[in-house]
Amino acid sequence: MFTVAQAIYNTLSLINRQKKITVVSLFAALTVVGSFIRIPFPYVPLTLQTFFVILSGDVIGPRYGAYSQFLYLILGLIGLPVFAYGGGISYFLQPSFGYLLAYPLGAFVCGTLIRKMMRTERRQRNFFMMMNLILINSIGMLVIFVIGLMYLYLNLRFIIGKEIDIMDLFWSGFIIFIPVDSMKVLLASWLTLKLHPHFSWLDSVLQEKRRAVENKDR
Amino acid sequence: MPILNDITLGQYYPAESSIHQLDPRTKLLVTFICMTIMLIIGHPFALLVLSLGLYAIIKSSNIPPAFVLRNLKPFLWLFVLTILIHIIFSEDPQSLNGDHTPLYVIRQGLFRGITYSLRLCLLILFAAILTLTTSPIEITDALEKLLTPMKKIGLPVHDVTMMITLSLRFIPTLILEADKLRKAQISRGMKFKGNLMKRVHSIIPLLLPLFMSVFRRADELAMAMDARCYTGGEERTRFKQLEFKSSDYIVISSAVALLLIAVLIRFFNIV
Repeated sequence: MFTVAQAIYNTLSLINRQKKITVVSLFAALTVVGSFIRIPFPYVPLTLQTFFVILSGDVIGPRYGAYSQFLYLILGLIGLPVFAYGGGISYFLQPSFGYLLAYPLGAFVCGTLIRKMMRTERRQRNFFMMMNLILINSIGMLVIFVIGLMYLYLNLRFIIGKEIDIMDLFWSGFIIFIPVDSMKVLLASWLTLKLHPHFSWLDSVLQEKRRAVENKDR
Repeated sequence: MPILNDITLGQYYPAESSIHQLDPRTKLLVTFICMTIMLIIGHPFALLVLSLGLYAIIKSSNIPPAFVLRNLKPFLWLFVLTILIHIIFSEDPQSLNGDHTPLYVIRQGLFRGITYSLRLCLLILFAAILTLTTSPIEITDALEKLLTPMKKIGLPVHDVTMMITLSLRFIPTLILEADKLRKAQISRGMKFKGNLMKRVHSIIPLLLPLFMSVFRRADELAMAMDARCYTGGEERTRFKQLEFKSSDYIVISSAVALLLIAVLIRFFNIV
């Protein structure tokens, strides 16, 4: 039977060039699909993109997660309608472009922290693991929001050419997203918890540990 | 499925015209040059001249103007916002002294707001023409060629273009897969209605199988690439060769000349 564990292990354990390429483009495609599900808001639309951004960092690691998000940016900038409001080079004029710019960094931060956590903590109970994952994913989310808000401010200031009250900006660029985004963080953490034993290929230390466990089982 | 059609078509509008036949590299370069010009120059008169030029380009590209203008729709609220902000918060120093009537101030704000919006408009339309007259595959080819020098500093240019093509192929697969899974779960009694909490809860039995099937697909694809001995860009020949024609040289040199004129006007106050 083909289980999730097997599928992911097969895809990711033998990490050669082809597999890197397919996995990175897969996560870029997932982010694209996330952007199709959207609720429009002023300045910044609400989409599922960030969910896949954190997940890409969590599942395929900091480097490839960041690559996949860069790929997503390239896809949009060469004119495919993969962002929330279409695409094209002119998209950098949209006030919400900063959030997109922050995606690679967000994935990178999540991936790095999760690897750190996995390395330091051995067999932990699921509850603590989940708490840690939620914390890490929230940090990744915050990184995206901080950069996005900065870009939003700069964009309104210099491209549209007017200054806007910072509290207003904070409200429409951050606070209204908190409920939905915390839900996304929870969901991503849960998925990572389910998937994490199967992406140890990312880390040579973890891989050795895994091999040791397998040998003991035999 | 409307989403699927959107993606497979992209924004590309196939037609016979001199603009379509230009080399994609030329179009990419010229678009970047035009956008730089737009960012350098903000004078209303120059913008009017540029929009006349844009009109000529649209006419010669054989794309219906309505089709081009459709690209402005997602930005519409941005224009309204720009104009409104300029009217409400006028920075005119004379208006603060009370030298002018409110009507005059509003008119000034309106004028400046419209100038800024026109500039945004032109930027968007120039970019739109690139994506309307060039298919995504052509753009990736052009990107690969233009970025070839970057190989020296370690950027895997061929891999990037390969990944662009792959993820384009993945998108419809993913949507179909998600739809199939959703139907499968509905046929087993799953409900996707109710309040937000319930909906989120109903996503969970969709996500894990989706991930599983998606990773399996990626695995199969990697295997298929392996079986066909894919090793990246080295010594790979291509079916379609890009080459510059005389018209490409003319277009690029005139764009560069325009850029020079713009720089002279803006930074040296000549002309």
